[in-house]
Amino acid sequence: MRINLKTKIWFTICFIVLMFSFFTLFYFPNQQGKLLINDYNTEVQNLANTVALGVKIAITEQNFEGVQTAIEFVKGDPRLQFVSMVQYDTAWESGHSNYKIKKTIFKTFPENQHPSPETTSNDSIIVKEAPFKTEMMTGSIMLGFNTKEIVESKEKIKIASIIVSGIIFFIGIFIGFVLARNISVPVLALRDAANRVGEGDFDQKVKHMPNDEIGELGKAFNKMVEDLSKTRKELKEKNLQLSSTISQLNHTLVELKNTHLQLVQSEKMASLGELTSGIAHEIQNPLNFVNNFSEVNTELMAEMKMEIESGNYEEAKIIANEIIDNETKINHHGKRADAIVKNMLQHSRQSTGQNQNTNINVLASEYLRLSYQGLRAKDKEFNATIQTVFDGSIGNINIVPQDIGRMFLNIYNNAFYEVNEKRKTTAGNYEPIVSVQTKKSGDLVEIRIKDNGKGIPEKNLDKIFHPFFTTKPTGEGTGLGLSLSYDIVKAHRGEIRVESKEEEGSEFIIQLPIA
Amino acid sequence: MKKQTHKYKIPVLLSGKVFLMVVCMLFLSMASKSQQSTLVAIGNSSDAPNDLALSELKSILMGEKQRWKDGDRILIALMKTNTPIGKTTSSKIYDMTGDEVNKFWLALVFQGKAQAPKFFSSTEELKDFVSQNRGAIGILDKPVSDPEIKFITIDGKQSF
Repeated sequence: MRINLKTKIWFTICFIVLMFSFFTLFYFPNQQGKLLINDYNTEVQNLANTVALGVKIAITEQNFEGVQTAIEFVKGDPRLQFVSMVQYDTAWESGHSNYKIKKTIFKTFPENQHPSPETTSNDSIIVKEAPFKTEMMTGSIMLGFNTKEIVESKEKIKIASIIVSGIIFFIGIFIGFVLARNISVPVLALRDAANRVGEGDFDQKVKHMPNDEIGELGKAFNKMVEDLSKTRKELKEKNLQLSSTISQLNHTLVELKNTHLQLVQSEKMASLGELTSGIAHEIQNPLNFVNNFSEVNTELMAEMKMEIESGNYEEAKIIANEIIDNETKINHHGKRADAIVKNMLQHSRQSTGQNQNTNINVLASEYLRLSYQGLRAKDKEFNATIQTVFDGSIGNINIVPQDIGRMFLNIYNNAFYEVNEKRKTTAGNYEPIVSVQTKKSGDLVEIRIKDNGKGIPEKNLDKIFHPFFTTKPTGEGTGLGLSLSYDIVKAHRGEIRVESKEEEGSEFIIQLPIA
Repeated sequence: MKKQTHKYKIPVLLSGKVFLMVVCMLFLSMASKSQQSTLVAIGNSSDAPNDLALSELKSILMGEKQRWKDGDRILIALMKTNTPIGKTTSSKIYDMTGDEVNKFWLALVFQGKAQAPKFFSSTEELKDFVSQNRGAIGILDKPVSDPEIKFITIDGKQSF
């Protein structure tokens, strides 16, 4: 059940008023009445004690001043009902074995009152006894005071309590109205305004707030709404700017992607350009074979024709067999050239992104040869020792061959470039060596490509995989080769790292998952 | 036989002692009687009368008459009832024992019927009280000489 603020205020006020009324109407008068009675009892008892003491002194000392003063004091009290002197006598039974105390009223003031020695207190009278004992007489003073004054006092307290309760009740009602007006109304106004602000109406302001904490809350609310509205406006503007920026960024991203693709393509074409010489050299050999055997076959076919015309069929058959052998060779070398061209095309084409089961050893070897031949085609003086240690147990692994091939080409080109550069600047017996090693290691294939070039300075080690970072002279490198290689390895969920020592060489370690 | 003789002698001796004791008691009793007969009434010289009838004196000392003719309150001064004068006063004036006098005055005072008398242990104190308080009357065993004290004859006699 939901109880609103106004109801809570009224509940609280009613509770307080009822509690107060209970106290003023019942508890307080009751306690006050008890207090009055107690005080009255004590007072009467003290008076009785005083009179008894006076009597005792009067009897023993024959000094009647004390009792006279006490008696006169008691007599002057309008509440006095009676004051009696009770005499105790010992009454023995006939056998003189048992006795009982017989109480008789010796004297009473006023004389028209005739209280019994056994008189006790009741609602209308308070009776107190104070014993005294002398050689001459034993007894007590019995003092009776009426409770009229107490009753009247209690009545007055009761009436005062009713009046106070009534006043408190009306004050409570008044306070309830004031609180409801000063707390509930502004709070409800704040709530409504907050709801409307929540719905998006930022023009809301609470007015006519009291000059207290709620008023301060109202001011704070108004300021908050104002700030919120301002902030919202700024946010809108910022949002628009952000949208515009995002749009520009998207546009830039698209452009960047295009540029990246173009760069990748450029890099590819650049590496292709570097390969061209090697490829041309590779194709030249089979083409030479094809051309030579084709020319030989042309001559042989002319000889065979002459032998057939001269009826020398046996010779013609021998020549025909030679032609067939040559055709086989032409076909073999033609296919070889075809394969080289296809590989070249495969390299130049966009990656399909499709994984294929590929023999990593064959791929590494093929690109090693292409890279080496490419460099040799450009620099006839270049020569290097190539060392390969391929782990035959690897078998096929699931990779995108065009991408991994491109990665191999980039690293090989760098390796050959480095050893060639070192060859140019090193006098004496320097033997450029590039080695490739593959090894199966659990679920991974580890490929190590090592050169004994100049090595990478330590300060560049953490930058070599950054895009556009290159130490090659302008025009010789795009700075994208290793960056793309890094991306390719990462796309294959592999790892690539480099270990290098200046003047000793570098080693790239690539780990690719088999599956 | 000797024993018998002694038996008879002892009562004789005892009877002699008893006789002596009786004589002493009679003497003391007579002495006491002689004391009782010598009461005198004194009063403050300002307003006490020169002479009073015995019945009038008793009426005053019993708290029945409480004011002199001039309207002054009568202040009673008595010797304590355990003194010889007090005892004589109790028997001659009140015809009561000392305790009965006390009880008598206690009843009067308790009921507010009379002004309580002053009881003194010595005659000097009583005399001083009478001489110093207007309207005072006291009972002594013999007259005193004080300019502030008046000797009151009772039925024309100096003592009663």
